[in-house]
Amino acid sequence: MNLADPDNFGLQCQGVSHWFGENKVLFDLNLEVQAGQFVGLVGPSGCGKSTLLRAILGTHPPHRGEILTLQNGRLANADRPGRDRGIVYQKYSLYPFLTALDNVALGLKLDQTTTAFRWFNWAGWAKKRREFRDRAGAFLEKVGLGQAMHLYPSQMSGGMQQRVAIAQALIMEPEIILLDEPFGALDEATREELQEMLLRLYEENAEVKAAGGKPPYTLIIVTHELNEAIRVGDRLVGLSQYWDWEADGHEHSPGATVVYDKAVPVFRPDERPEYELFDNIRREIRKHVYNPGVLQRRDEHVSVDPTP
Amino acid sequence: MIGRPITRPKAVLLSVLSVLLLLAGYTWMSHRQHQVNPNDTTIPSWSQLAEGVKKFTQPDRYKGERWIVEDSLATGERLALGLALGIVFGFLIGMLMGCIAPVEAFLQPPISLLAKVPQTAALAVYFVFFGTGMEMYVAMISFGIIPALAVTVYLAVKEIPAEMLDKAYTLGAAAFEVAIEVVFKQVLPKFIDAVRLSIGPAIVFLIAAEMVVGDVGFGYRIRLQFKLSNMNVVYPYLAFLAGFGFLLDYGFRMLQAKLCPWYQSNTK
Repeated sequence: MNLADPDNFGLQCQGVSHWFGENKVLFDLNLEVQAGQFVGLVGPSGCGKSTLLRAILGTHPPHRGEILTLQNGRLANADRPGRDRGIVYQKYSLYPFLTALDNVALGLKLDQTTTAFRWFNWAGWAKKRREFRDRAGAFLEKVGLGQAMHLYPSQMSGGMQQRVAIAQALIMEPEIILLDEPFGALDEATREELQEMLLRLYEENAEVKAAGGKPPYTLIIVTHELNEAIRVGDRLVGLSQYWDWEADGHEHSPGATVVYDKAVPVFRPDERPEYELFDNIRREIRKHVYNPGVLQRRDEHVSVDPTP
Repeated sequence: MIGRPITRPKAVLLSVLSVLLLLAGYTWMSHRQHQVNPNDTTIPSWSQLAEGVKKFTQPDRYKGERWIVEDSLATGERLALGLALGIVFGFLIGMLMGCIAPVEAFLQPPISLLAKVPQTAALAVYFVFFGTGMEMYVAMISFGIIPALAVTVYLAVKEIPAEMLDKAYTLGAAAFEVAIEVVFKQVLPKFIDAVRLSIGPAIVFLIAAEMVVGDVGFGYRIRLQFKLSNMNVVYPYLAFLAGFGFLLDYGFRMLQAKLCPWYQSNTK
């Protein structure tokens, strides 16, 4: 993939290492994500998934290595959170003091107007505000939340909250969206509905790509549910501290790195997930990513080009 | 049994009953006292109370002022200014401490120390520094409530999950916008709760100071009338103060409901 090409670029992590004192977490992690890819990120607990996500988000930059994202059309270091990266958390995903509508409109407001404008140009702000809320309202209608527009988060179900949170991130049209265990607290049925919502975005990607445009949605979803990663993602990345570091000349474990990176089948949103079909992939991942007893070379299951 | 709700009419009935019991108890105590001493003024009868009310609602013999008007204006102005100043600075200090680490480190020791000084015991200090005029009242009320308010705001800011702040940056916020659009709005209802709780202490400080150096105002009047054994003025004054405090509290509660409809207050 041509990294200098902004029409294809999603994210690049180069030699990322991170540690907390003696506790080595990430080691020499390399990851390139192309625009339009849906990356499922999995790994055993303590493998540094959250650390990596926070590093990409820019709130906790890595001690070593570089993370590049597309910022205002240029590749730049992601050493602080910015509007080019969206985030959907499992908890605290919405602002409790704003309705669904205002939660979604908040990004437009913060990004496109300044405090001075809002305080001193009342007429201008009133007009902008109406425009932002109209756009947010249309967006919520699109994701099937027309009814919930004027509810506060405390009045919404967990599934509705996460749906609004995704809309809140999407309306900013970020270069990449990070989802941190987004559906972890939801029941199975709601989970599947929300996965369908993400798969519809993937379909939109395909349509835009077919028309020759840059696919609008790129995302990394961190999850502990292998099925979810396989269903939503078109590419599966396994992060693990269990790899053959002795073969690379380390005396102690240097931390987790990418030990699995392959394309996985793509599903249509209306397709009932046949989880038995995932069995082979699951078995492979359990063995090479999750099992502390199986130590393979770090690049043994990493495809050079995991483009599906 | 525990926590089982009762019907609305039953709840109203019980509230009315408690007030009636209070009044009946007072009437009985007063009646018993007057059987022992018909001229008693410590637990005035209802007719004596009416006389007392008449005394402070009609122009007095010397200055032609109605006490209740004169006292309400004086005490009200002192309280309003003191509260306003305390609220503004308490909020600002709490926000700055919560948002800016050096300010936090710098202000935490004095604020936590000041919070422990009983204002009524420190009256003399205020007299020395601010005299006995308006400045003194305003200073003692505001200094009295600033530490508690600032600490409440500061802790409320610290309680905001980092995720909420980080997310604001991904939505295009500048640091100042995070403070105004996220921190401020998140903290506001808790701050209003704290203001409501600070009204009580503010009135205590004010009345205490008025009792010592006032020449007009509720504290002054209550002390004077108590010395003259005119409890038929003191009791209505107390009731008036209670009613005033209640109204003020109610006002802030309404303000909170208006400004923060999302917030479920737990100090109703």
